This record gives sequence, structure tokens and C-alpha cells, in this order.
Amino acid sequence: MRTSIINTIFRKEILEVLRDKRTLYLVILLPFFLYPALFFLIGKVGQSQAGKMQQEKVTVLIDPALEQTPVPALIGSDPSFVIKVQAFDSQALAEEKTTIGIRVDGDYAAGLAANELVILRIAGDFSKDLLDGRKQSITGLLNKLNQSLLEERLQGVKLPPTFAQPLLIQEEDLAKPSQHIGKVLGTYAPMLLMLFIFTGCIYIAIDITAGEKERRTLQTLFTTPVNVREIIAGKFLAVACVGLASALMNLFSLVFAVLLQAKIMGGNVSAISLAISAQGWVWMITLIVLSTVFLAALSMAVSLLANSYKESQSYVSPLMMLVLIPAVMAQMPGMELTMTTALVPVLNICLAIGAIFKGAFSLSAMGLVVFFALLYGLLALYLASLIFGNENVVTGEKVSWKLLKG
Amino acid sequence: MQEVSFEVHPGEIVGLLGPNGAGKTTTLRMLAGLLAPTAGEAFINQHSVQKEPQLARRALGFLTGDMDLYRRLTPVELLAYFGQLYEVPQPELRRRIDELVEAFGIGEFKDKHCEKLSTGQKQRVSIARTLVHDPAVVVLDEPTTGLDIMASEFILQFIRRMAKENGKAVIFSTHHLDEVERLCDRVVIIHKGRLQHHGDIDSALAATNQTRLADAFFEMVR
Repeated sequence: MRTSIINTIFRKEILEVLRDKRTLYLVILLPFFLYPALFFLIGKVGQSQAGKMQQEKVTVLIDPALEQTPVPALIGSDPSFVIKVQAFDSQALAEEKTTIGIRVDGDYAAGLAANELVILRIAGDFSKDLLDGRKQSITGLLNKLNQSLLEERLQGVKLPPTFAQPLLIQEEDLAKPSQHIGKVLGTYAPMLLMLFIFTGCIYIAIDITAGEKERRTLQTLFTTPVNVREIIAGKFLAVACVGLASALMNLFSLVFAVLLQAKIMGGNVSAISLAISAQGWVWMITLIVLSTVFLAALSMAVSLLANSYKESQSYVSPLMMLVLIPAVMAQMPGMELTMTTALVPVLNICLAIGAIFKGAFSLSAMGLVVFFALLYGLLALYLASLIFGNENVVTGEKVSWKLLKG
Repeated sequence: MQEVSFEVHPGEIVGLLGPNGAGKTTTLRMLAGLLAPTAGEAFINQHSVQKEPQLARRALGFLTGDMDLYRRLTPVELLAYFGQLYEVPQPELRRRIDELVEAFGIGEFKDKHCEKLSTGQKQRVSIARTLVHDPAVVVLDEPTTGLDIMASEFILQFIRRMAKENGKAVIFSTHHLDEVERLCDRVVIIHKGRLQHHGDIDSALAATNQTRLADAFFEMVR
């Protein structure tokens, strides 16, 4: 293989990509602006909705049986509630959008005086966000009342408040904040990374394979004294580079958007840190490159089967499923990098990247994943070269599986 | 294709004729090494297409109607790209591109992307692309299809000069028999994958007792 020829093909493909506004927009610019814009929009809309819900008044109908109890004053202490003492019908209340009812089973005062259990019922259509939120506020207020009543009862029998609470469970989290972030990123980042690399690769792969077939430029290339492996190498490098650039663009954009969102929500952005060692970064970069090799070659092999841009797009969804299913499986609780999972393409890389984020990886496991990722990448490249070498690809006809086997 | 055999010498223009589906494109694709014959062999400038594909392709300039230009490259970029694929040395490539730009009148649109060119301009660039490595053998399949009379005449005159002044062996496939009569030294007529005639135009007329090539052609492929 001649590197000068591969370089010529690679440079030409990149030049065409850079001049194709649609690809450039879809693969590079859109991801760059998408997440910050999306997160900013969602954050702003969320804040505005929350503010509106906070200001909206909710009427609380309190059963007349509770009129002489502390309940009306307690609920009324929250200015977002309008208190009305009146009996209510559950069926009619179910139709109300801004009304909650509180009633008592039996006699409140007599029940408390006899040290019995008094049941208070909060009623309303809690499928509505507003009423569900306010129910929680009412429950919080009533829990305070419950606590003071309990203390009163214990005082009555001369028992300390701790009598009713033999154990107090307190948690001591020994993990550093960076470990918590590593856990979250280790769970979700590998899947997103695979998705970004795949989407980055597939559109450029379609453009320079099926797209070229459709535009009738592929045959010209095959009449030059360039061999199939050189054509594949040049095109593959272009797909992998764009895929990698797109994935990194997506990733940086996403991280920037998350930090922006955290800042908008008043979080301490400077406290966010990761604990990945230098060795971990080396493994991570190796794995990202290898997964790009695999997904770029696979995208090229599959899109070569199509004769047009439109036809190749119908292959995108099934191929995306093939990539996403193992990536999603890697998120499942208890899924770990073992000798068996290290053999499964995509799953192995997701688990390995996850382990690096979590700071819990072994050299042997990483070596195994790198070996198999490299093997699958080379197999995908071999498949692409088999399909590329098919006579029917050259003449723009349907790929013949018979010729492929031969 | 069965038992199709012919040769083209330097400085000669040979017309490859046949109705649709006769096997012209298949023959040309085998010459370019795009399709592998199940039997037999093709040679370009004494290099076997099957055994020495790179050397054979290096000596071949190939253009069919199935080939288009890279839309997002300019004509000059396109010529430079193919020149590099043929490994034409840089100083020679620059000189060659200048010559082709001049010869085909590409200068006025050399910086436009190919997608913005007219059909005639595209065809001029396509032929220039075919010649960028100065091949000994040139295959042109329907090079004047879709062109107006002026553009067609320009292409035909260039093909004549290419063969007669520069000594290139030209295979010229077309459905325009008047162009064949004006341009070709010999004709190869293919029908249903078999060779029907191989010789000069007079021998085709004599073999069919006709006075016009079109009538002789219809007689042979009836």
C-alpha cells in the first residue's frame, strides 16, 4: 500500500466533507450547539414552570370536623394555600384542578385524648403535578404536628422523646465527590460516546460509499491504478477522523452543557472533578480510537451494500440497534468486565471505559478488551474490503453475496 | 461476451458499435479491469489487464456515461487529484493541468465547483480528467451524449487531434453513426455479445452491400 495515495484519497474526502454544508452542519456544528441550547432551554422552561407552580394558589377544603384542631392554622401558615372549612365530596373533588381536601376518620379530639391512632386523609387528583407537589407540602406540615403530638404523649407518661426512636441511622459516605461523578459518568458516558461515534461515522460513511455510487464517481476511482486496499484505507481514515471529531465535539458540548446547567441551577461547578490516572487516560484514548476504528469500518461495510443515499439510510436504524443494545446492556446494574463480556463487541469497550471512569480497572482486563476491540476492528475492515472488492460495487449494482464468498 | 477479439493501434480511432445490451459497456469495463472475464485476456499498451492491472490502468484513460465528477471539487482540484492518483510527478502534473485547462477552455470556470458546471463544461472536464496522465490508450463511451452541436464538434475535433497528432489509440463508442463515419478508421460491431464485424468502414459496407454505415449496421444487427 502506498501512503501517498492513501493520503491523497484521505485529503480529498476531508476536503469534500468540509465543503458539504449538510454534513458539516449535521456532524460537527449541530452537536456543538445542540446540547448547550437544549439544556439552557430545558433549564429555563423548567425554572419558569416551577416558579409558576410555586405562585399558584391551591384551595384546601378542611372538613368541619377538623375546624377546632390545629390543622387549619398549620396548613394556613403556608401562604400558597387558601383554607376553606367545608365538607367535600370525593367524586366532585376528583374533578378539581386546584383543590385538595383534608378529612379525619372519627373524632380527632377524642382519639388523641384516648391515645388512639387518628387517621387524617388528604384527598385530591394527585396525577396533577401542582396538586401532587402541594400534597407533599401538606404532608410535611402534618408530620411536624404528628411529631409534637408524639412528644406530648411521651411527656404525659414521663418518657423521653428518644423512647419512640430506639435507633437513628446515619450514613457516612467515604467516597470522594470525584468517585460519585466517576460512577455516574462510568454508567452513562460510554453509551453516549458509542452513540456519538456511530452517528459521526455513519453519515460520512454513507456519503463516501453509497453517496459516491449514486453520484457515479466511484467507478472513476476504480479505473485508476489504485488498489482496493488503498481506496479503503483513504476512505476509512476520513470516516474515522470525522467520526472521532464528531464524537469529541458531542462530548465536549455535552460536558459544557451539563456544567452550564449546574451553574444555572446554582451548583458549585468548581467542585466537580474526575479522578482518572494518566494510565487511565491512555487506556481511555486507546479504547475510543479502537471503537472508532470498529464503528467506522462497520458503517462503511454496511453502507456499501446500498446503491443510494436513501437506501443506505434504511440500514442506519438496524445498525444503530446493534450498537446501542450492548451499550445499554453495559449500564445495567451488576454488569461487569469479565472474560465473557470482554468478548462482546461494543459491550466490552463500554464496560472498560466505565471501569476507567470508576477508577476500578485491571491491566489484564484492559489488555483483553484492547485485543478484542482491535480484532473486531480489523474484521470489520476486512468485511468492508471484501464488499468493496465486489465487482457489483464497482459497477453500481446490488452487491452479490455469491461474489463476496468467492 | 463470447469470442470478441480486436486490437487498436497508436494513432488509430476505432468505433465500438452495437445496439443497447449488445455488450459494449461490458467489453469496455473488462478493458478497464472493472469486470473480470471468465475466459480470455485483454491488453492495454502490452500490459495484461488481469495480470498487471496497475500498469494496464496507468496506460488507460477511461470515460463512460456512468462516470461523473466530484461535485464539491473545482476542475483544477479534480485534475490534480487524479494526476496524483496516477502518480504524475508534481512539476509535470502542473504543466499537464495548465495544458488541459488551455486545450479544453476550462480557464473560465476552473475555480467553480463541478456541480455548478453546465453539461458541456462537465464533459470537457471529464475528458481532461481522462487525459491528465497522458495515457497511450483512451476509451470514450458516448462522449457527446447530451451536448449541443458546438460542444460535440469541439469534443470530436479534440479526439481527432488526440489520435492523429498525439498518436493515442482511441476506442470510441457511440450511437451517432455520422460521428463514426467522420472520425473512425475502423469499426468493431458487437451484437448479442458476439463480434459481428471488425474492419474499416468500407469493408462493412461491402460485406452488407450497403452504401451508408447506418444501413450496414442495421443489416448486421438485424
